[in-house]
Amino acid sequence: MAFLEVKDIIKDFGGLIANSNVSFKIEQGEIIGLIGPNGAGKTTLFNCIVGYYSPDSGKVMFRGSDITGLKPFQTNQAGIGRTFQIMKATTGMSVVENVMVGAFCRTDNRYQAREEALGILSFLGMEGMSEQHINELPIAMQRKVGMARALATKPELLMLDEVASGLNHTETEEMVALLKRLNVEKKITLFLIEHIMEMVMAVSQRVIVLDGGIKIAEGLPEDIVKNENVIKAYLGEKYAKSH
Amino acid sequence: MEKLKDALDFSDFSRAEQIGLMIFSVFLLLFPWLGAGSFVKAVMIQFLLFSLFGMGWNTIGGYGGQVELGKAQYVGIGAYTVALLMVWWNIPFWISMPIGVLIAVGYSFIIGYPLFRLKGHYFAIATICTSLVLQDIFTNWKLVGAAKGIELPIHEHPDFLYMQFKSDNYYYYFIMVLFYFALFYMNWFRKSKLGYQLRMIKDDEEAAESLGIDIRWCKIKAYSIASAFVAVGGGFMAVYNLYIDPASVMDLDLSIKIALMAMLGGAGSLWGPIIGAAFLVPLDRFLGSWLGGHKGLIGVDFMIYATLIMVVSAYQPRGIWGIIDQFRRKGR
Repeated sequence: MAFLEVKDIIKDFGGLIANSNVSFKIEQGEIIGLIGPNGAGKTTLFNCIVGYYSPDSGKVMFRGSDITGLKPFQTNQAGIGRTFQIMKATTGMSVVENVMVGAFCRTDNRYQAREEALGILSFLGMEGMSEQHINELPIAMQRKVGMARALATKPELLMLDEVASGLNHTETEEMVALLKRLNVEKKITLFLIEHIMEMVMAVSQRVIVLDGGIKIAEGLPEDIVKNENVIKAYLGEKYAKSH
Repeated sequence: MEKLKDALDFSDFSRAEQIGLMIFSVFLLLFPWLGAGSFVKAVMIQFLLFSLFGMGWNTIGGYGGQVELGKAQYVGIGAYTVALLMVWWNIPFWISMPIGVLIAVGYSFIIGYPLFRLKGHYFAIATICTSLVLQDIFTNWKLVGAAKGIELPIHEHPDFLYMQFKSDNYYYYFIMVLFYFALFYMNWFRKSKLGYQLRMIKDDEEAAESLGIDIRWCKIKAYSIASAFVAVGGGFMAVYNLYIDPASVMDLDLSIKIALMAMLGGAGSLWGPIIGAAFLVPLDRFLGSWLGGHKGLIGVDFMIYATLIMVVSAYQPRGIWGIIDQFRRKGR
């Protein structure tokens, strides 16, 4: 029994087929990268798994139970956390309050929620920002807030939607180190959508490639970069042949 | 026990706010002996009543960010329950008021369930509609007095059980006690799990859902809490006015006033609804009696009222409290 199993997911937006018979398995403790050119259906696939969309057909199994078509709050309670590509720069709540909301998923006690939130913020090296608002932070930090509040719900599987986009070189390296720490120290299985190749190759143990809604490759990072189909999808026909 | 401590604990507010609350409380306590006339006393009772309404509205409208414009139907439910039970079976206020609250809460669940499938403007319009429908039913329903309304039987002697007193001071103190219950409850509420979850829903619904929050259920819960508050106020209106009709306790005008006061004062803050009520209730009363009485000036009070709201909301969407907060942040 796989930790997360996606079977023949199809999602059709009225003629535009965003996911077409996508299947794969993830084992507990892995770090999996999901790559593909723009419009390949990566975020749609994420949304089908966590329940923002319900797939037209296919199945999502998480730790042996069928979670297809469950609402996002239910998949979260089942143990799947996710972050968003774009954080809304809101002013309503401070950073620590944002993270507390995540912690309230598992506790009713305010003091305990606050303590856990502060613990997670210090794990991410963000102690100094707890009283700031999201709109006052740079993009890299906003993303980290998104991660922190997802982590506060104590997920076993964390799905990250482009955590590294817009980050500079050092920030990307820090993010890679952080993701590895999450995987090792907190024993969280990671599943990430990523555009930046150096990031994907550095962090993923296995890579899944989508193009035009179809899974075109799956394998070790070093094999993926040599894969004809993948090169074709990213660079076009010409490069694949001359390679 | 912890909840009670949270309710009475104002320590996370600034020194100025704490002192302000203290002075305000002393003023409220001593007010009946300050020699105010009956008109001013009536305005003061209105102010406390609308603060209570506003604080209730603040749960769903302020913290939850859902523009709710149908609170009058719950004022009506509270008021009609107290009045009808007293007229039909001579049931005392202290029994009929809680029954009214229970009916309001039950009704709010039934209404809230389909209502919260809607979002934004559609939700706001739907809340207006449900309230209008109930008002129309009561206006045409002979059994509950139809458009003529209901007069409560007046007792010869003051009667605590039926909340009938000769002096307005008793009513004043009663609504003041309710006001403090509401204030302490809201002080707890804003720190509670539901309070945090609602603020997240207001900020970013998509993110809230991904954090294990059942958005619809949270909204329904907050909506029923708001309805309970408002029904208590409705019950008070029945025994205080001794006469109710659909136009006075169920009108759209009332719903809008409740929401506007909270929004003008500052939706989503503890003091907002109180500030809003302190501002608009006297304005409404004095302008109404001063300008409304002159020929040719009828309606001018509404114009002033509306201009004020436009100016404040254009300048600072968080209302008067938002403006104060802005200045404080600059000063720091």
